[in-house]
Amino acid sequence: MPHQVFARVLSNDPIIAGHQVITCEAPTLAAEAQPGHFVNVLTAERYDPLLRKPFSVYTVDRDRGQISLLYSIVGATTASMSRKRPGEMLDMVGPLGGRIFQADTRPDTTHIMVGGGYGVPPLVFLSRELRLAQSAPNIKFIIGARRKDLLLCEAELVAAGVDARVATEDGSHGTSGRVTDVLEPLLLENSGLPVAVYCCGPTPMMKAVAELCLKLGVTCQLSVEVAMPCGIGVCMGCVLDLTDGRRVRCCVDGPVFEAGEVKW
Amino acid sequence: MTNINTAVKIGKLTLRNPIVTGSGTFGFGPEMANIVDLNKLGAVVVKSTSREPRLGNPTPRIVETPSGILNAIGLQNSGVDNFIAEKLPFLRNYDVPIIVNLVGTEVADYVHLAEKLTAAGGVHGLEINISCPNVSHGCDFAVDPALTAELIREVRKVTDLTLITKLSPNVTDMVPIARAAVDAGSDALSLINTLIGTAIDVRKRKFRLANITGGLSGPAVKPIALRCVWQVHRALPNVPLIGMGGIMSATDAIEFLLAGATAIAIGTATFVNPTASTDIAAGLEAYLIENGIADVNELIGAVTQ
Ligand SMILES: Cc1cc2nc3c(=O)[nH]c(=O)nc-3n(C[C@H](O)[C@H](O)[C@H](O)COP(=O)(O)OP(=O)(O)OC[C@H]3O[C@@H](n4cnc5c(N)ncnc54)[C@H](O)[C@@H]3O)c2cc1C
Ligand SMILES: Cc1cc2nc3c(=O)[nH]c(=O)nc-3n(C[C@H](O)[C@H](O)[C@H](O)COP(=O)(O)O)c2cc1C
Repeated sequence: MPHQVFARVLSNDPIIAGHQVITCEAPTLAAEAQPGHFVNVLTAERYDPLLRKPFSVYTVDRDRGQISLLYSIVGATTASMSRKRPGEMLDMVGPLGGRIFQADTRPDTTHIMVGGGYGVPPLVFLSRELRLAQSAPNIKFIIGARRKDLLLCEAELVAAGVDARVATEDGSHGTSGRVTDVLEPLLLENSGLPVAVYCCGPTPMMKAVAELCLKLGVTCQLSVEVAMPCGIGVCMGCVLDLTDGRRVRCCVDGPVFEAGEVKW
Repeated sequence: MTNINTAVKIGKLTLRNPIVTGSGTFGFGPEMANIVDLNKLGAVVVKSTSREPRLGNPTPRIVETPSGILNAIGLQNSGVDNFIAEKLPFLRNYDVPIIVNLVGTEVADYVHLAEKLTAAGGVHGLEINISCPNVSHGCDFAVDPALTAELIREVRKVTDLTLITKLSPNVTDMVPIARAAVDAGSDALSLINTLIGTAIDVRKRKFRLANITGGLSGPAVKPIALRCVWQVHRALPNVPLIGMGGIMSATDAIEFLLAGATAIAIGTATFVNPTASTDIAAGLEAYLIENGIADVNELIGAVTQ
């Protein structure tokens, strides 16, 4: 159930330029959050900016009752978040999201995560949950970035033994090109075998991944990003048009949708 | 604690406390029932309901401005038949007055809605939205006392439910419209709806809302809303007013009571703090206890110079 939490900040450290990971003591969120859930953060004390901003849950430590968020510093809320010191409080509402990532349950499925920018953290969470639930899940993780210095989470995935592949647009690391340049050969290699793609990243990237998966007949779940003024399904601000003609709320009817459902 | 009275009357309705929800900011109930105990509210006012389903406006529909938001949702809703079949049965499980906000383009639309909702059972009040700024013709009634009177008179004929007229602040003087609505049979008035505004992205040189204009709400509008409540209360001291506009805290709510509101609607605050409505109800009760005020009604219009 969504609820408000004033969570003590335990650490808040830069990881790459303009990006930080904030870890908080939030036992109720740690207990409830699943991959694809997000929390709504408020930092302003006097109503400017007025609205909370959504952040995907990145890691949870259920034993210690901790969660972390990985954020890119782009505006007022993320700038205030970046100044939080250990011991200060972070005001969050969560866990939010109605429909979240569903691990494909077919036996011997190859789970392919495709993430870009701050779309990577929820997929890191999903990979971890898959590894906790199954003895040796077959996970391939594709991370996209413009340049090597903007890549997120590669080292930790490798350290956890995940097959992580990289595409950089300038070719400074991994495959030169986009995530679809890594995804397409991988899907062709596995054609006829059970494969599930999970994707989160900038909208043009998700659109390209969705189109590729639809073309090759591979199931693909996408965590769609649109501005979510309330995050709890009441303001009707974050609506998305689906191919079946329905106009739904991204926050509670999503944010995860099947590739074929989204009308771009 | 038990001898403190928090109940107020709006038309035929007795609200257990003065705090109600602002139409369009609380969904239809089920969305919020996991987060807020609906039975702790004075009343639940649901999103505007129209005769036919409406898809609303294109996105972006909401943008932030200093201490406020501009919205141009365009009254997206599934229509009255869907409301009665799908939403009302859920709401009937609660012990709280249900007020349905009605919207239409012609008098006949409102009459049709009022008849259906009165017959449905489980609806306790109707809030007549003559003031939505985000649809064409939405404000025609709200700016014209004669049109307002005609509309309320016709709706009054078909319902004995408590009738509340929701007024627009986008007029030179709200008092003549308020008076026309009351003279035509409105039991109470809600004010204010949002103020029309816009915002521009200077980088793109484009309007930030797809609809160009939207309605401003949140703390930015509070001083205007408070002034409107006070003006209408002074002109019509015996008419119960539901005051709203930027109320974020119990202190804000008390300001509105002092200005002359009998009840208080919590709108945009719910987006920021999902439990704002019940938090404010609890805060108001705590204020009464701390200050030894036996009856919340003592606060209504009690401001002095
Ligand atoms: C489900 C979901 C999950 C998310 N997860 C994450 C996550 O894990 N990590 C993460 O970093 N982000 C995440 N985001 C994105 C994050 O919520 C936004 O970037 C958020 O807006 C940041 O808030 P802010 O106040 O720092 O920036 P804002 O002030 O909201 O600015 C955001 C962007 O809008 C632009 N902007 C701001 N004001 C204006 C204006 N007046 N005119 C034109 N442009 C303007 C800014 O330049 C900036 O690029 C997620 C979003 C969603 C919907
Ligand atoms: C996103 C949004 C949607 C709204 N939808 C409606 C609506 O459908 N009908 C209506 O009468 N008022 C609607 N309103 C107006 C509110 O009920 C209220 O009058 C106004 O927002 C001022 O109060 P606030 O500042 O507390 O939000 C809406 C407001 C917002 C912010």
